[in-house]
Amino acid sequence: MVTVATATRAGSETPRRRRTPWGLRLAPYLFLLPNMVIFGVFTIYPAFSGVNISLYESPNGRVFRWVGLGNYERILTSDEFWRVARQTITYAFAYVALSLVLATIAAVLVNQQRRGKAFFRASLFVPVLVSPVVVGLVFGWILERQGGLLNNMLGAIGIDPIPWLVDGTWAMISIIGVGVWTQLGFYMLILLAGLQAIDPSLYEAARMDGASGWQQFWGITLPLLKPSALVVLILGTIHGFQAFDFIWTLTGGGPVGATTLIVQYIYENGFISPIRYGTAAAGGVILFLAVFTLTLVNWFLSRGKED
Amino acid sequence: MFRKPVTRFTAVVAAGLLALASACSPGETVDDEDPQAAPSEGQSVEEGQFAGETLNYLYFTDGPDEQATRDNIARFEEEYDVTVNLEILPYSDLVSSLQARLSGGNAPDVVRLTGLGEFAADLLPLDEYLGSEFADEFLEGPMLAVRNNSDQMIAVPSDLTMNGPFVNVEMFEEAGVELPSTEEPWTWEEMLAAAKEVQQATGSSYAFAMDKSGHRLSTILSQYGTALLNDDGFALDKEKAVAALQPLVDMMAADEMPRDFWLGSGSRYEGANEIFLARETPVYLSGSWQVGQFVNNAEFEWAAVPNPCADECGGFPGGKFMAALSASENPQLAAEFVRFMNTTESQEHFAAVSGNLPTRADLAESGVTYDDAAQAAMDVFIADLNRTPDLGFAANSQPAFGPSATALVEQVSEVVAGNKELTAAMDDLQPEVESIVEEMGSW
Repeated sequence: MVTVATATRAGSETPRRRRTPWGLRLAPYLFLLPNMVIFGVFTIYPAFSGVNISLYESPNGRVFRWVGLGNYERILTSDEFWRVARQTITYAFAYVALSLVLATIAAVLVNQQRRGKAFFRASLFVPVLVSPVVVGLVFGWILERQGGLLNNMLGAIGIDPIPWLVDGTWAMISIIGVGVWTQLGFYMLILLAGLQAIDPSLYEAARMDGASGWQQFWGITLPLLKPSALVVLILGTIHGFQAFDFIWTLTGGGPVGATTLIVQYIYENGFISPIRYGTAAAGGVILFLAVFTLTLVNWFLSRGKED
Repeated sequence: MFRKPVTRFTAVVAAGLLALASACSPGETVDDEDPQAAPSEGQSVEEGQFAGETLNYLYFTDGPDEQATRDNIARFEEEYDVTVNLEILPYSDLVSSLQARLSGGNAPDVVRLTGLGEFAADLLPLDEYLGSEFADEFLEGPMLAVRNNSDQMIAVPSDLTMNGPFVNVEMFEEAGVELPSTEEPWTWEEMLAAAKEVQQATGSSYAFAMDKSGHRLSTILSQYGTALLNDDGFALDKEKAVAALQPLVDMMAADEMPRDFWLGSGSRYEGANEIFLARETPVYLSGSWQVGQFVNNAEFEWAAVPNPCADECGGFPGGKFMAALSASENPQLAAEFVRFMNTTESQEHFAAVSGNLPTRADLAESGVTYDDAAQAAMDVFIADLNRTPDLGFAANSQPAFGPSATALVEQVSEVVAGNKELTAAMDDLQPEVESIVEEMGSW
């Protein structure tokens, strides 16, 4: 059999493929190995371990009691969880929508700048580099009802103080605004890269055909920006559902739980007495499933439209 | 179009199911056996018995106590010819770090804690090493918290704090309002009336401020003769609780207490010391641990005044514990270290330098000499210690006290936000606290 096969190959007219030495074939995997080991140990293993822990309850991470799906039942029948889930969906939806719209506007405006493009790009990106804890503290001072910077400015034009952080609705608006501000530069950069990849000759042709600026934007820019917008949509959804750090320092989830989102719910179960590691792990699994499903839906819908 | 993603999705789900199918217990599983009582005879220590050995002490610091601890450790090392590794962690990391170290088989020998409930099963019964008479050297109230279900002493109350009010003396003088003497405390009505009078006379932002804390709320409950918990579980007299807390709610509604401060920090603890230091309030309810900070940072004359009275007088206790771990490789040395750090000499030095109250009965009786600037305030707290009712010590010693106090704060926050009446909030609090007690008692 081996002889025949060899003869057949030798007799064919196509040039014989040279086999890559095994060392070269192995090299990419070796380069990837350190990262994969870290990823496996610190991400994959804890993720699967979290699924396992969600089937137990533990007050300390050392002593476990088997509860099966009891933690999921406890969460899904809890009024508090559904309130937190509604707030998380409200936050994530508003955060993604506002981020997408504002980042697109910012990217288009920055892209049109002839001078100082780097300055505006850097200015919008700086908040991404600020620690979320610092963001929370700074906006805490800015948004204070009495003596806060923003209310002082509004007072100067005759507007009464707004309870930015001590009224449930205003507090939700505040965290959405701050959340969008912190990541806007990052999303803008993604969209800016998408804009700069659009062939300028398309705009030239459109202008020659007499298309207005709006027509160029709707007919060329937006459709060709869709792949970048999809990336923003997916990353924004993930960020929106995982928001926690700056909210914890800004409002602590208050007033009376009005800005408590799902990650804070998980954190409080896992790290604030009475500690419930199993419940926290089950909350993490539920969050993973929600984000994973939404990401798939986004991806499928986008692919479907492309096709 | 869908083939590839669906395949990946299927793979992920299959991997998840595989993990579930192969799931094994992530740690030790529990059974329902009761803990067994251990023998409680002391063990004598011979000279040079521990020479050359090393001991690890996991510690968090509030500031000045660190030097006092280092001083006492230096004497211990010299006397016993051992080495003590003092490992200082931020308080916020203490519990999670200790749990991780216990899980990883890397437990320290001795630890400083603020609560014992989560670690009760991991702590070394000290009676066996120090003798049951050792407990008699301490005040009865703080000792209530260090007994496990088998009545073994699993820690030593190493220092004590006492909640109580501070006043801005300059603002009271400006308003011409008199302060109470240590022997004749205000009633609650008198204190709030005085605070409002000073607010009106001086134009301060508020009349009264207090930390956003269930522990501080419990001070007022205790003075009205009730508490969240006792040995049998939920113990709150709702009528007394409403009488105690309604004035706070009313003052926040009238901007006589900082409402935004209460609502603006969610479920987090928040200290109101900056409001007091900024002279925005003449009266501030906090506790003895603030004395050191006020000595250093207050730019005005201040004083501690005795806790106001209602049905009861006195404050509400808190404090820290020193405990040895059962997993220690040298439990006898660990227990001896705990004993040494809480002798009269060691605790007197610690209390004087750190500005805490002593837990030893002899020191509580003889008093402690503090820094000159702190002495008057600490004397007020020590006087209040003797007036504090047992129900406060009993409540604070319950393992479920911390989360129950947090639930109390959340219910009061609902009232402050205008979402419900105080009576309804106290009604809602009961099943919540009962559930916490049941859950924590099940371990």
